[in-house]
Amino acid sequence: MFKYLFAKTEDIPRGSSAVYFGISSIVWFVIGTGLGSFNAAKLAFPDFVTGSELFSFGHMRQVHVMAVIFGWISMAFAMAMMYITPALGNTKLWSEKLGVWNCFVWNAGLSIALTCLWSGMSSGREYSDFPWFIDLIILFGVIVPLGINVWMTVIKRRTQGIYTTNWFFASAVFMLFIVLFVGNLPEYFQLTGLTEAYLTWWFAHNVLGLWITPVAAAIAYYTVPKITGNPLYSHRIGHLHFWSVVVFYSTPAAHHLMSSPLPEWLKSFASVEGVLILVPAIAFVSNLLLTMTGKWRFFVDNVEIKFTITGVLMAIPLNMQGGFQQTRAINWYIHGTGWIVAHAHLALLGFSTFLEAAAVYYGLQTIMRRKLYSLALANFHFWFLLIGFTIYWISMTIAGLIQGAGKIYEVPYIDVVIAEHPYMIARWVGGTMVFTGNLVWLYNMWMTAREGTVIPAGRLPHEIAYER
Amino acid sequence: MAWKFDNPLFSLSDEEQNDKARKLWEAEGLGGITEDNNRLPRPVVWLLGLTIISAFLMTFPLWGQRPQAAIYAEYVAAMDSPRVQAAQAAGGDQAAMAEIVRIVREGQSKYEALQVRHPLSMNELRLVKDQIIELQNSRVDLEEYTIVGYKVLLANFEGNWKADGTRERKQPWWDKGYTIDIFYVTYFCLAVMIAVKRLPNYRWQPVHHGH
Repeated sequence: MFKYLFAKTEDIPRGSSAVYFGISSIVWFVIGTGLGSFNAAKLAFPDFVTGSELFSFGHMRQVHVMAVIFGWISMAFAMAMMYITPALGNTKLWSEKLGVWNCFVWNAGLSIALTCLWSGMSSGREYSDFPWFIDLIILFGVIVPLGINVWMTVIKRRTQGIYTTNWFFASAVFMLFIVLFVGNLPEYFQLTGLTEAYLTWWFAHNVLGLWITPVAAAIAYYTVPKITGNPLYSHRIGHLHFWSVVVFYSTPAAHHLMSSPLPEWLKSFASVEGVLILVPAIAFVSNLLLTMTGKWRFFVDNVEIKFTITGVLMAIPLNMQGGFQQTRAINWYIHGTGWIVAHAHLALLGFSTFLEAAAVYYGLQTIMRRKLYSLALANFHFWFLLIGFTIYWISMTIAGLIQGAGKIYEVPYIDVVIAEHPYMIARWVGGTMVFTGNLVWLYNMWMTAREGTVIPAGRLPHEIAYER
Repeated sequence: MAWKFDNPLFSLSDEEQNDKARKLWEAEGLGGITEDNNRLPRPVVWLLGLTIISAFLMTFPLWGQRPQAAIYAEYVAAMDSPRVQAAQAAGGDQAAMAEIVRIVREGQSKYEALQVRHPLSMNELRLVKDQIIELQNSRVDLEEYTIVGYKVLLANFEGNWKADGTRERKQPWWDKGYTIDIFYVTYFCLAVMIAVKRLPNYRWQPVHHGH
């Protein structure tokens, strides 16, 4: 990467920034899930690594969360944007050099940011834990360059129309800027109390709703038609999906604070909008599953489609949970319990991770013109990820229900801790399986870059997946 | 960008505009990806309708609301009656509680539905009894107080200003949040309808030559 930072633009090979983002994202995924496994071990075995403030759960939790969101997920998104945006516009990336710099600053900035968090320098606000100067670096050093590259590539496209994926990409980078800027206002202006609480959850909600969810969905809109060769089932449903994300995902932030003294009308409004999150979900899932018509064999024998469709299917429980758990009737029971942790992992480690992994698998092979080093290892990765995640999700959901019962019936806290202990061990087992799968993935992609069979010109990776 | 309004459910674009869209649709390959023009399947339309209705029905404060102190005032009044005392002596707490419920039902309580939704045991009733009596003596509106665990507290809800300068503490089943939602959802449906009706009608499907 370093040799291209000061190289002439024409000397930088096309797709370089996508490759660097792709590899970086996998490395951060390994780090993020490794930290997750470590943290889960601390919850399962309270005597594991004690005596050091740096390795206490309070220091490590947010490092895990931020490594995964801004390292794995967002860098995988950047990777997808760097190669899918130009591909859909029949053009090249607006500035490969800006992309390489973007990747460099992102990696360096995130390393500094996580070191700050690790050392205890934190805003203390969940999901927007970074201190204010890190927020500004992310905003202007990371998101603005990414947005410029995406927008300029869309503007300079050689097609008249803009495909659905690029609607989502372009609008998501714009919306992320707004979310980061407005959501972190409490840090710049020392807002406190209910305003701070609301903006904290406005940020957390919209990072999910206007960045992670739409970009992950946009990737699926590319992967499924590209690999199956089927046309996208419906351009019209794409409209419904896109606009319902904008309208219904941006408004329900107050449903994260249903027991707070926010105005009741705001909670009522947010709660209805919260259920209406099902509208984009239904549009997305139906459009993608109908696009698979006649090509379901890919779900079995193509690793990228296997990841993508699994992610698409996870959108169903994700949004059913998300839509209904925030209503007054259910929220009073599960609020503040492990149920929510399970739900957050269903969104980030389930739904979006599976879609991004497909993009990284497919993108790296396509750009490097190297066939996957080992399909068997890719399948190992898929199953470890799926089984590990499922163990995690089920165990945390059950633990959440136990905590909810304990909360409502005023069971002594220590009794609840003892009751949920087996599920904490299961959580660690599941999380560690995910981490192990990712180590294998990193090895597989590293070997793909070094020793993968060259893909002949005019062929695509999935076409030769089973050729020797 | 010519508009046509004679058959809005078929198309909002004139034939020339639709023709241009159809030609572009068939000619253009977006990185090797093509799109069809299918409508939303009918069962999915019904599912979306159901979702919108559920969104309102599921979120009314009626569900998940804490019990108001007012619904137990009649229970407290009946606690020391001879019938309940007799039931207590004969069958203990459970029988006494059943007798209280029977007495209150005979009196046609206006809170019957809420009492059924929020049953409580004799022990729980004992915990809130004195607090409810104290509030009755201070002549406050018991509907503004909720039962939180073993405490009777002024409700978290802050509604309209009352004539005495205090805030209404009763949570209505409907508030302006729902009214905003109705307009919001309506505008959304209209906007999306307009967006998709500007496209060529769904009965036309593109032929993807060589993409």
